[in-house]
Amino acid sequence: MALAIVSALLMTIDVNSRLLQPMRSVLATIISPIYVIAESPYHVSREARATLSTRESLMAENTQLEQRNLELSTMAQQFVALREENARLRQLLGSRQRLGAEVLVAELIGVIPSPNTYQVEIDKGAADGVFIGQAVIDAEGLFGQVVEVAQFSSRVMLVIDAAHAVPVQVNRNDFRSIAAGTGRTDRLELEYVPVTADIRVGDLLVSSGLGGHFPRGYPVGEVTAVVVEPTMTYAQVTAKPSAALDRSRHVLLVYDAKTEQPKDADPAPADPVPEEPK
Amino acid sequence: MNPTRGGWVILLTIVIAMLLAVVHLPAGTPAWVGWLRPSWLVLVVFYWVMALPHRFGMISAWITGLLVDVLYADPLGVNGFCLAALTYVTWSFYERFRMYSVAQQGVVVFLLVLGTEFIRMCAQWVSRDGTLSFWVFVPAAASTVAWPLVAMVLRRIRYQFSVE
Repeated sequence: MALAIVSALLMTIDVNSRLLQPMRSVLATIISPIYVIAESPYHVSREARATLSTRESLMAENTQLEQRNLELSTMAQQFVALREENARLRQLLGSRQRLGAEVLVAELIGVIPSPNTYQVEIDKGAADGVFIGQAVIDAEGLFGQVVEVAQFSSRVMLVIDAAHAVPVQVNRNDFRSIAAGTGRTDRLELEYVPVTADIRVGDLLVSSGLGGHFPRGYPVGEVTAVVVEPTMTYAQVTAKPSAALDRSRHVLLVYDAKTEQPKDADPAPADPVPEEPK
Repeated sequence: MNPTRGGWVILLTIVIAMLLAVVHLPAGTPAWVGWLRPSWLVLVVFYWVMALPHRFGMISAWITGLLVDVLYADPLGVNGFCLAALTYVTWSFYERFRMYSVAQQGVVVFLLVLGTEFIRMCAQWVSRDGTLSFWVFVPAAASTVAWPLVAMVLRRIRYQFSVE
């Protein structure tokens, strides 16, 4: 059948290249209202809860938020001082100062329903300057990256998707590795960790910025288990993602000063990192 | 009598099926519950092809499938192929399927959903690091359970709006 051949052709092209990206984004622009409608019951219930909440609960929430705000502004004061110090030290070393990243807040409008994939739909698209490969974070850590852009929405692949990988380093000693998704919500795996590597349970993994996709220094996960078996070539290291992947309603799209320039379809990563989705 | 009536009804049911396919479960439900979702689109397309084979052809099934590909983040063309194949099979045997009881139709639905889910899983397996598993039987079984309800509702809709 002609349709079967066309389908097979489309599949092959779509899987192996990005030629069909414009077609996908046109279709996605047509179809994305479906997600908005499907999400509306949750939206309405949230709105209703917000409208109907009692004065007491609002007061309690307000107190809690004030406290949180105080904590954060204390930390921010230290942060300003540390940033200045860091800039001075970098100047002494003669290395380039890192630029701060700009962020854009986006809201989740849908979750891709298939149990095998971990992707979500957000409400910002090409019209807001979102681009493929853009890093997405939430309040607690690295969330994922943009894999498809429609006009007013885009799709984000979560760090735990089995097709996702991100270059990381251990915050304690800068040991570099790759954190790959496993397809399970609470688990990342570090790839190719030698058995002699200095890595312990509780170590914080931050994005290393190698490969050029992700900005440096965002928390990715915390090491939960290190299994070293004498018969294995590599240690089995698992980590728990930092981002609240199944709870965050709002995420931040990061416009890193370095990644903002439009790149070619194939950015040729600095080290062989299989971080390209698909 | 106008021979093509109520096309918008067919379109609307397909849009509703897409909505049902992407409505996500409340946060905190375990992931395996997602497998219990019937393939609403397969059920709706199967019904319309069986009931009105002259109205819902392979091209429309294929275009619907393309939209579903984007909806599901599958490789472009997988669902188009699945739905077109489904339409072809149903179209070839629709007279026989119409004579079946709802239970027998349920068996047909089971096999069809199993086929489409299997093709989808293979495509995911080839294109990314998906895994093959026996979980495909679960949506097929769920669809069989949902079929009598879907058939009843769609029949009611078809007579109500006299879609021809």
